Amino acid sequence: MQQLHRELRERLGPSVTFDEEVRRAYNHDQGEVPYLLMSMIRSVPDVVVAARHESDVAETLKIAKRFNLPVTPRGQASSGYGGAIPTRGGILLDLSEMNRILKIDKDAAMVDVQPGVIWNLLSRKLNQQGLDNRICPTSAPSSTIGGWFAMGGVGLGSLKYGSIRDVVQEIDVVGLDGLVTTYAGDAVEVFHQTCGILGIITRLRLLCRPAEALRPYAILLQENADLAAFLARARNVLSPYSISLKSSGYLKMRGEAEGHPPLTEQGFLATVVIPAGLADDVRVAQTAKVCGGRLLSQEVADLEWANRFYPMRVKKIGPSMMVSEFFIPEVKFQAVWKAVRAQLSGDVLGMEAMAVSNQRLAVQVYILHDAQEPLYLLRMAKALVPLRIAARLGGSIYACGMWFAAGSKKLWGEAKYEAVMECKRRVDPGWLLNPGKIQAPRMPWFPVMDLSRLIQLGTAVMAPLTRRLAGKRFRPS
Amino acid sequence: MRGQKRSMRATPPTELTGPGFTKDQAYALETCARCGFCKPVCPTYPFGGGFEAFSPRAKVHFLRELRAGRAELTSDWVDRLFRCTTCARCVSVCQTSIPLVQLWEAIRAETVERGVGPMPAHQKLSVFAEQTGNPYGEPTEQRVRWMLPEHQPAEEAELMVFGGCTASLRLPSLLQIGVTLLQRQNIPYTYAGTSERCCASVFLRTGQLEMAKRLIAGNIDLIREKGVSQIVTPCGGCSKTLKYDYPQWARQLGKKWEVEVLHFSQVYLRLLESGVVNPIRTLGRTVTYHDPCHLGRAQGIFDEPRAILQALPGVKLVEMEYCREEARCCGGGGGVRANYPEMANQMARDRVMEAMETGADTLVTMCPFCQLSFDLVLKEMGYPLALAGLEDLLLESIIP
Repeated sequence: MQQLHRELRERLGPSVTFDEEVRRAYNHDQGEVPYLLMSMIRSVPDVVVAARHESDVAETLKIAKRFNLPVTPRGQASSGYGGAIPTRGGILLDLSEMNRILKIDKDAAMVDVQPGVIWNLLSRKLNQQGLDNRICPTSAPSSTIGGWFAMGGVGLGSLKYGSIRDVVQEIDVVGLDGLVTTYAGDAVEVFHQTCGILGIITRLRLLCRPAEALRPYAILLQENADLAAFLARARNVLSPYSISLKSSGYLKMRGEAEGHPPLTEQGFLATVVIPAGLADDVRVAQTAKVCGGRLLSQEVADLEWANRFYPMRVKKIGPSMMVSEFFIPEVKFQAVWKAVRAQLSGDVLGMEAMAVSNQRLAVQVYILHDAQEPLYLLRMAKALVPLRIAARLGGSIYACGMWFAAGSKKLWGEAKYEAVMECKRRVDPGWLLNPGKIQAPRMPWFPVMDLSRLIQLGTAVMAPLTRRLAGKRFRPS
Repeated sequence: MRGQKRSMRATPPTELTGPGFTKDQAYALETCARCGFCKPVCPTYPFGGGFEAFSPRAKVHFLRELRAGRAELTSDWVDRLFRCTTCARCVSVCQTSIPLVQLWEAIRAETVERGVGPMPAHQKLSVFAEQTGNPYGEPTEQRVRWMLPEHQPAEEAELMVFGGCTASLRLPSLLQIGVTLLQRQNIPYTYAGTSERCCASVFLRTGQLEMAKRLIAGNIDLIREKGVSQIVTPCGGCSKTLKYDYPQWARQLGKKWEVEVLHFSQVYLRLLESGVVNPIRTLGRTVTYHDPCHLGRAQGIFDEPRAILQALPGVKLVEMEYCREEARCCGGGGGVRANYPEMANQMARDRVMEAMETGADTLVTMCPFCQLSFDLVLKEMGYPLALAGLEDLLLESIIP
């Protein structure tokens, strides 16, 4: 161990720390997971490297290989899938300081960035060149380009431009041998959604869009409105950049969090965002009317758009929040939402959905709870109820990471899964790169079971019981 | 796993008992969304080597762990908790509106109560205040040396000038200009002179609540004796403290507090808008304005200074990339300058560089702390940019 410390210090200087307090700050991500589950993995790394240069990453990986140490890459850990949580200790490679914009090609509308660049900061710099991000996550004020690509995901603009995979054209990846390889086109695919288990991404080339202004519209839709028909019509007639839906339950939660009455007591609020050059007030009003909706004031629309990065504001009335996230075909969405509400009728629920490519919605169901409460572990089973309902009706999980690793094959399809595994066997047969992701950590006391499957099984068994554990309000009055 | 196991063997839950750490604040801790929006905007985070533990998000997580008995208030954590300028940039981006600055102040109070805080330089400030009523340790009589012969405060008036320690003892021109304007417009004002004590801002920010309590109690009594209904001060820190902390402390001390607190920028703007003060001289300057944290984010005073600048002939305002709600801190607040001067200076340097990128020839601000912070580094940089208090420009423009 002393040899390891010496080598890391010699090669990486002040970018390395062995300080226990500093290391412990890396034992979690955005998710609030019960300590019982967390105790099944070694989530505190043995050493943290705050990489600033590609050479730091290369040195770290070479040392990791020589000392047979696991390496967990981490951006801002702004996702709750466990993808950035160590499972076997080892080296935590913090990439958030690799945050330089390397090159902006204004003519080609492309930008090269290091993985730790933050979406909103990139947007700010691109704007100065007349460009902007094609898409960005709703966590854009903190989440990193590399982190989102490695987790996979959709966000604002995905209706028009697709997922993060569609935006990334080329990447540089450092392997355990410390060598850098450039991948482009289809070769990028195995690195997308795989949490860095095949190598550490040190550069990404992204497609950008012209920095045109966007005009938001707010439309109130009735509870019984045909949402799929509305989405199809809006997509075809309005050429939107993005469309999101919020349930009245979500609006009530947000109203309470912000200290004002909710915008509506029933139905859905749709925020349709259109490039300003294509925005036509009359056409939007007609679209709303045809679908039984009502166009709200510009003030409401502007406020909704201004709040686009603040979906978790509702947690203020939690104090904790279980989030169930899934993809669902637009035509199945209402059936899923109806079933979710029926199953979780005793809970404080909210829903936010974003229309994405291929007539799908990325849905987030928020369930209020209190992570400090003794029955938290039981209640957690509720988080998977919406997901199961969605899966039955043609939906899928949103991402894998660690907690949902068991669903990776289904999410990606067999061909990609096999390609990833084949690549893994080739480049990292010892599973040093982000172990426990895509294939979840095995249970020490029952090795045939992994953590992800344990959670699936456990929550399936507990779900009927938790229905009796009606949601409570925890906020002090 | 070693760390993990240790954390599972919990010591008995540790209640944070620092005065001000209320039930609501404890609840707010639990609402942290762990989104990390606070991390990239925190001006002190970059001084932690790029490690998560120095981010506001990690500090909130630590406080939760501390309350649950899974972490200890070690000297390293105390040091991290004091490396915060209380600039409130984290508060302005927080998804769940956690009153983070209140939490930082509460935990600092807790460190003092447990005898592990504050930092050495902060203790010295307390000793000075004990002896002289100001944290600089200047003799009490120095407090009124800023006064010019023409300044004739009334024994009693509705408006009271609160000099504040930094303006009174380090940047007298801020008071000289403001009070001269009041005097020449025949606006009656009173002033406590050598009886005025430190507003206690630095002691509240560094958790030294006993000292703060004594100073505040003394000032409240003094202000009540004078029978004033308005206070005006040139200092962002004093005005924030008088406006937001004094009412709470008055309640706790069982004293009456019905006073409107103004910053001089608000008075200047009223004088300009009412036509009482007329800027006539063309200044020919391109300026950029630095929003002091305690004035801008803390009190929402963003427009007044800009309106004053716009009213000055020949002054062109160019904004820095990070301005108003997003303005970066000068490094002077929260006791950071006292105990971590190198860090404070680097923050000031970074802000000066940002100001220079605008192409402005003058960096303007309206807080003595910010002005002193910038002056220190500008001197070292050979003044590539002039520095002025907004009041200096106002004065320059009204003199024929």
